[in-house]
Amino acid sequence: MLFSPPKSISSEHKDVIHDVAFDHYGRRMATCSSDQFVMVWDKEQGDDNWKKSAEWKAHSGSVWKVAWAHPEFGQVLATCSFDRTAAVWEEIVGESYNIIGQKHWARRTNLVDSRTSVMDVKFAPKSLGLLLATCSADGVIRIYEAPDVMNLAQWTLQQEVPCKYQASCISWNPSYTRERRCTKYFKLNNSDKKEGEMKIHDLDNGYANYPFMVEDPDSYIVVPQVPMLAVGFDDQNCGANNRVVILQNITRLRRWNKTECSTSVTDHCTSSVTDPVHDLAFAPRLGRSYDLLAVATKDIKLYVLCQIMNSSFATVKFKLHLAANFEGHNSTVWRISWNSVGSILVSSGDDRCVRLWKQCPVGPYDKNEEDRGVSSPSKLLDSVQGQGRKYHWKCVGVIKAEGLNI
Amino acid sequence: MLKTIFIAQECPANALALNKDYNKVVIAGRNVFKIFSIEEEEFVEVCNLRVGKNLNLNFSCNDVAWNNIDDHILATAATNGAVVVWNLNRASRSKQEHVFVDHKRTVNKVCFNPVEANWLISGSQDGTMKTFDLRTKEVIKTFFSNTESVRDVQFSPHSHFTFASVSENGNVQLWDMRKTEKCVLQFTAHSGPIFACDWHSEKPCLATASRDKTIKVWDLSGRPLLEHTISTIASVGRIKWRPQSTFHIASVALVVDCTVNVWDVRRPYIPYAAFTKHKDVATGIAWRGSPDVLLTTSRDCTLYQHTFKDAVYPALHSNQKALDISPSGEIAFAFRINAGQSRQNKLAGTSRKPGNEEFWQASSALNVIRRVLNKELDWLLKCAEQYVLAGKPLADICDHNADVARRLGRLAVSLLWTTVKTLYTPRTSDHGHQTPSKEEQVDGEVEGERDNEIRREDDDDLGTRLGDSVGDFFFGDAEMDPLSMDFEINGLDGLISQDWGIPMEAFPLRHEILDRSPPPEQYTAPDSPDSADGEMQGLNLENSLSLKAIGSCKPMSWEAGVTLADALRSHAEQGDVQTPVCILIALGEKRSNLISHIEPVEQETWTFAYLDILSQQRMWLHSNQIIKLSWLPSVSQLNQQSTTVYTGCSYCNKPLTQAGWMCSKCDQSVVCSLCHQVVHGLYAWCQGCMHGGHLTHMKEWIEKKKFCPTGCGHACQYN
Repeated sequence: MLFSPPKSISSEHKDVIHDVAFDHYGRRMATCSSDQFVMVWDKEQGDDNWKKSAEWKAHSGSVWKVAWAHPEFGQVLATCSFDRTAAVWEEIVGESYNIIGQKHWARRTNLVDSRTSVMDVKFAPKSLGLLLATCSADGVIRIYEAPDVMNLAQWTLQQEVPCKYQASCISWNPSYTRERRCTKYFKLNNSDKKEGEMKIHDLDNGYANYPFMVEDPDSYIVVPQVPMLAVGFDDQNCGANNRVVILQNITRLRRWNKTECSTSVTDHCTSSVTDPVHDLAFAPRLGRSYDLLAVATKDIKLYVLCQIMNSSFATVKFKLHLAANFEGHNSTVWRISWNSVGSILVSSGDDRCVRLWKQCPVGPYDKNEEDRGVSSPSKLLDSVQGQGRKYHWKCVGVIKAEGLNI
Repeated sequence: MLKTIFIAQECPANALALNKDYNKVVIAGRNVFKIFSIEEEEFVEVCNLRVGKNLNLNFSCNDVAWNNIDDHILATAATNGAVVVWNLNRASRSKQEHVFVDHKRTVNKVCFNPVEANWLISGSQDGTMKTFDLRTKEVIKTFFSNTESVRDVQFSPHSHFTFASVSENGNVQLWDMRKTEKCVLQFTAHSGPIFACDWHSEKPCLATASRDKTIKVWDLSGRPLLEHTISTIASVGRIKWRPQSTFHIASVALVVDCTVNVWDVRRPYIPYAAFTKHKDVATGIAWRGSPDVLLTTSRDCTLYQHTFKDAVYPALHSNQKALDISPSGEIAFAFRINAGQSRQNKLAGTSRKPGNEEFWQASSALNVIRRVLNKELDWLLKCAEQYVLAGKPLADICDHNADVARRLGRLAVSLLWTTVKTLYTPRTSDHGHQTPSKEEQVDGEVEGERDNEIRREDDDDLGTRLGDSVGDFFFGDAEMDPLSMDFEINGLDGLISQDWGIPMEAFPLRHEILDRSPPPEQYTAPDSPDSADGEMQGLNLENSLSLKAIGSCKPMSWEAGVTLADALRSHAEQGDVQTPVCILIALGEKRSNLISHIEPVEQETWTFAYLDILSQQRMWLHSNQIIKLSWLPSVSQLNQQSTTVYTGCSYCNKPLTQAGWMCSKCDQSVVCSLCHQVVHGLYAWCQGCMHGGHLTHMKEWIEKKKFCPTGCGHACQYN
């Protein structure tokens, strides 16, 4: 069996739960609901049971999202709500236990800049400091910073980026960005390899593992060292080219700029997102030289994102290439999430199923594997051919919400 | 089909009212007073009542009411305290029929009796309500609310002698028109001023709207019973029940929120529908007879007719499927529980327009599932646990780690470790036959197969010899104490004698790899779908090439570093940062020729990524080992950041600034709170109250008691 028996938790939320988030270690869990409450659940040491350790009315409207800060900054949560505010909460250790022994969470700040419902809130990776991004229904993306990480009450609005369409979700690129740009570059095409230049991948020798081909021989790939975040839009009126916007931080200007994304021309699939985007998630980058961005719309689209610098080294732009399209849900997909090592993508959709997706390279023995039915009672649902290398994305598990048949 | 239409004015209106046929609308404000007929496509102005020579304050309206029986009679509540009756049938240009000047202060509301058309009631800022008879043009009765001001007054649709009034002190009063001296019922409904109330057309229910951002629904059939509380995001200015729908009520905010919301009282957290046309807060609200058409005026000077066709449904945008996956592979998900009719709805397709029933029955089921089979993570964790990265000769480390990887089924990784061993452990036998001259030169130069290392060893000849001479000693030491890794790295070079003892082993081993490499590959693909079979192919190809090169006496033609760097990179490219980081660490000093082929940025990224995974899994020992052994300054700095521990005197709470546990103020040393002895060894104390003592004493105490042993009353926390 692939999964343990599901543990149903009586949440006591009085309305629909909109978000659930694990903390950095997976030992705590926060849920938020339209009933305007946030609940925090703790896993007992050596026990698999989740116990509610706190609940409080966080907003005067539906609470859409809840996010944990890196534990380096303390036990800190951010919430955003229909009431047009986002809030930062900190657990007060040691005091203010209420009658039933729950922990006390204090509101450290209330971010009231939005004039419409705040749809998502996310903490930046910790290497950027204590940074918070919000996006609102009027399409304004806001970046807040706590200049003093010890003082959670003080947040400065670093920048507002107006995007005019209703935004729905944010994802920070979790890669280990540092405050400097990479100056080295890799030339992709190996044909005129010069002395001292770094050979990175030889496409002809068959062991290249960029899942795409760069058609422009003058293109260089830059290892991205810039902080980056992606925002998805679920506005009905939004054009297909504006469904996902990527912001990158220009260190020199200390500003967040919208980035021009070019989609690969050799792409056979339609690469632009035409339907409302409900969620998106950058995979943990680990050692890869490109980023994986999963986008939840009518299905799940998986993009390979890399920075391209042209031969004059003047402009850096992003190349977005559709690597896979998962259609297993056959309905709108609402949430997606990567596991910590980026090997599995979980998604939930209107078919009331949670699906797990895993990437498997198509080797010469793939058929064999299929015959033997290794790893799971899996069905080969999506096979996508990326240029240069074949990739299979498999649905390796389905959890049905109704009756929870697994 | 009715359309969303609007008309803009110069001035904002405070209120609007519809005639009994719902085909005309009057808007009234400080500087506007007009009647429009509602056409299919537009509003057409039929009458401007703000005419005449003497435009006094009688024309400045807080509220307007249209008689629901006599279609030509209107009443307005003027800001100067007058109640003005207008007759549209008057022949003259001015339609003003009569002015009641009985209130002393502003009149907030006027309302016609739904049955007796000649009865008009007013509620004023002076705290009184007055009923007027339009025939006699006299005040019939005056009701004293005993409050500062009456904000709204509404006749009950169920009993035409009854009316409700709400006031700024948060009270609701129920009056019988025949009883002026005392109200029938009074209760406090809100903590702040109530701005509006509205009777339900069918049930004996009254809704009240307040500055405390709530709308409350009261069942007044008996004692007032709070049925529902809707919490909104701003002070609520006006409310109106939606006709023909039992549970829906429309509301507009007084400030902040420009939207017109329609709520289902059974789901009091999120509006059922919203109209977002207005640019400023709406001031007046009226349903046009049908449940689908709503008219509003706003401070943005517009009059709108909204239809549900153009409504926004905030709940639809909301995500009803929460999901997350934890670092340990637990999946938590919460789906909305579908009620009985949901299946039907599912069949009906993906039409997301909510039925009334489906909307309010909202709750979610939260589930947590643990993935039992989580291969990638298991691999990573087991490898992290079992890998040996230092403290042994490189050959042993590689063998051990290759074994670990092989037992876990990661054959590609296992092979890579073996390759590392082959490439980087000293080996003299093959050279011994082919390049005897070199071997004769220096017996320590067995690593001479790589040119740069030869150079290094030439430079460090003395060092190498030193290492050689003391190698056995250090090695022995290292075996006993695996923590002294620094010495071990030097010691490695001195281990040649061991290889000398088994001179033939190195060479056949390499052939073994060559011969064996195809079979593991075959297993690699099915067993470990993420393993890089393609890469391994490339790697082996290079390996065989290298052997040929050596065979033809050209050992320097091939640089192992490049190939190995490629191999590591290809692992990293697959998202496996553990393998490259561990190999680089295990190589110790020998990595120097390898890392010259890998970008420092890459090395750093890999290490940080690996460290983060380890920290997520709370494998602090392992992550710290990596940090300690790391060759990158930015990584090794991680555990050199200063940690400050603040201590204070347990008697006077004065921070202990000087070293030691002596308080300069009390002039005595801090002692254990339990045994009152000076603590030698570990001192544990509570950061909250500064009291503490021997670790064992405090442990014992805190197991049984919650509060501080000194009796300071602090609930101590020891984490």
